[in-house]
Formats: sequence, structure tokens, C-alpha cells
Amino acid sequence: MLEQRILEDLFRRNYSEMNHLAMVLLGDDKEAEDVVQDIFLRVADSDIPPKNDTYLLSAVRNACLNRIRQMKLHDKVKGLMPIEDEVDLQPIDKQFEWLDDIAAYVDGQMDEPHRSIFHLRFDEDLTVSEIARRLGLNPNTSYKYLMQSIQKIKHHLEKH
Amino acid sequence: METTKEREQNQTNLSSVERKEVRHSQMTNENIRELLEMLDNPDAYTDQEIQDIINRDEDTCDTYSLMVEAKRSSRHRQNRKSVDVDAAWQRFNQKRQSKQHGFDWMKIAVFFIGALLVSGITFAAIHIIRQYQRTGVPQNDITENVTQTTTTIPVDTLTKDTVTVQPVIYDNIPLEKMLPEIAVHYNVKVVFVNNESRQLRFRFVWNPQQGIDQVISDLNQFERLTITRKDNQITVE
Repeated sequence: MLEQRILEDLFRRNYSEMNHLAMVLLGDDKEAEDVVQDIFLRVADSDIPPKNDTYLLSAVRNACLNRIRQMKLHDKVKGLMPIEDEVDLQPIDKQFEWLDDIAAYVDGQMDEPHRSIFHLRFDEDLTVSEIARRLGLNPNTSYKYLMQSIQKIKHHLEKH
Repeated sequence: METTKEREQNQTNLSSVERKEVRHSQMTNENIRELLEMLDNPDAYTDQEIQDIINRDEDTCDTYSLMVEAKRSSRHRQNRKSVDVDAAWQRFNQKRQSKQHGFDWMKIAVFFIGALLVSGITFAAIHIIRQYQRTGVPQNDITENVTQTTTTIPVDTLTKDTVTVQPVIYDNIPLEKMLPEIAVHYNVKVVFVNNESRQLRFRFVWNPQQGIDQVISDLNQFERLTITRKDNQITVE
């Protein structure tokens, strides 16, 4: 069993980042904390500490992907989770850079009303009809703008 | 503004390749529109319909993947708040303690169940022998009858009632020892792709009543472990 002092040090040093990654992947505070706690329970039971902190983040990602794999299809699409196993996973720091890049593009380079539509769809989980009502647009126009927003991100990411 | 006549004229002027491209683009837009509509109300669709819509073509599939990334990006941006690590550490310790207590109780329960089972079997054996003695059957007949009684109980039933039904707890046992034992029960072969995974140690509770796929799924919860099954072979990566 791992020494309490070493365990606490590991926990305090890594908890925030591990919890954040789990939250990004699962979208649920409680589940995210559960995943991280389970990992530390296993670390506590083992005799040797993990090789490095990156190992802990990889453990979080694997545990989250396992949970997603076990979700029902309807729950996956409601939470915009991957429906197939993700292959060719990037290193976690690269994945965060990629997510930062999308956020920076949306806020820095995307025009209105695409930017507002993007935020309402992905930040507030509104449906297209709700977005249309909120912005006083025709639902068909809102669909068109949402499609264009996604296409714009696609083209931006292809360029980089 | 382009009139209908002009549009028709333009379309007739397009080459067959260009017409194909236009048609493809229209179809893609329709498929993506269908995807967005489905995502607004997934409950109105069956699992099969959802799979079909997302995998309709490469563009639609890519669009869904991009939406997954866009959602992650949104959560990444929105959740940059600082976390109260002190409170998290306390919650973790509470969970750890409750798990430890639960485990202690489980050990005690397993011990008592075991003791009850052994004393039950002993009592039944004594009871059977006494009954035979009371009916005055000669000694050699008793032996024969007792033997018959035990052999008439199917071996499977005996195994299930006494050993197999009980979960088996592997605590800190190397995978190379644990997995072959489990595999024998399901009549499957174990192949280790690398030596590192052989030495992995876990605390794992195996319920032999569960199917092999459920057991593999439970084992795959351990983040350092990936186990797959094909027919009668389990591969550990």
C-alpha cells in the first residue's frame, strides 16, 4: 500500500487537471470526480507510485472512454459523445491545444450570427428551434448557419 | 436574381462531372441536416436509425466527430474554474474509508457463510448416517447406499452449490495466475501479448455465474488492461 504522504502529494499535484480532463470528456461533475477518485483508490492500493503524472492523465482518459463505451447510444448522442471507439488518440496536451484552438477560432475569427449560434448550441445545449426563437431567425436559416459554423471549424482545422 | 429558366439552362450547361458534384453536395447537406435534426431529439429515433444517420456517409460522420470536439472544446473553456482540492481530498478519504469498511464487512460475511456451509454439510452427513443406522440396515449396505446418494447428485450441482456460486476474490494476485484460473471455468485459452501485463496485480472479485464477456468487460475497467476475446481465445494486451 502506498505511503499516505506520497499519495496526498500525488493527489494535490494532479487532481485539478485530472478532474478537468474527466469533465471535458464526460460532461458531468459527479462522474468526473468518481473517475478520478477510483484511480486514486487503485493508486493507494498499489505498492509503487505511478511512473509520472502523465500516466495519471492517461488513466483518466482510458477510464472515461470505458464509461462512454458502456453508455447507451441515446445517452451518447444526447451528450455529444463519440459513438465508436476513438482510435489514434493524440497525446493529452495536444488534445487540449486542439480544443483551445477551436475555442480561439470561434471567439476570434467566426462572424455573427455563426458565433452566437455555435455558443447557444454547444455551450447552452439549445436545439435549433430554440436557437431560432432566441435569435429571431427562421429555423431553416438557423440550420443553415449551424451547418456553416461546423464547416468553418472543419476548414480552419484542416488548414492547421 | 436567377430565374428558373436560367437555372435550368445553367444546369444543362454543366458537365456530367459537375452535375455529379452538385448532386453530391446537395445530398451531403441533406444528410447533415438530418443529423442535426436527429441530435435535437434523439428519443424520436431507434438505435439503428441513429447509427444509420451518423454513418450515412463520410461527411456526415466527420460532422458528428467535429460536433463531439466542439462540445469538448465548450466544456474545456467553461470549466477552467479552480477546484477546491482540500475538499476533494477529504471526499476521497471518506470514500476510501467507507470502501475499506465495506471490504472488512464483506470478509466477515464471507467467513460466516463459509462456516455455515461447512457446518451444514457436516450436519447433513451425520443426519444421513444416523438415519441409516436407525433403520437397521447392515453396515456394508449403508456404505453402498451412502455412496449411491452422493453419486446420484450431479457433479455440476455439487460444484455450483458449494464452490462456483461464491464469488472468488483475487487480491493482489498477478494476472498471469488469476486469468488462466478464470479461463479454465469458461474453457477458453489465454494469450499474453507482452510480459508486462503478466505481472499486473489487482483486487478483482470474480463471480463465476457471470458470462465470460461480462468478466472481460469488468477486467477492462482497469486502465492498464485491454482484454479481447475471439472465439475460444482471450488476448491480453
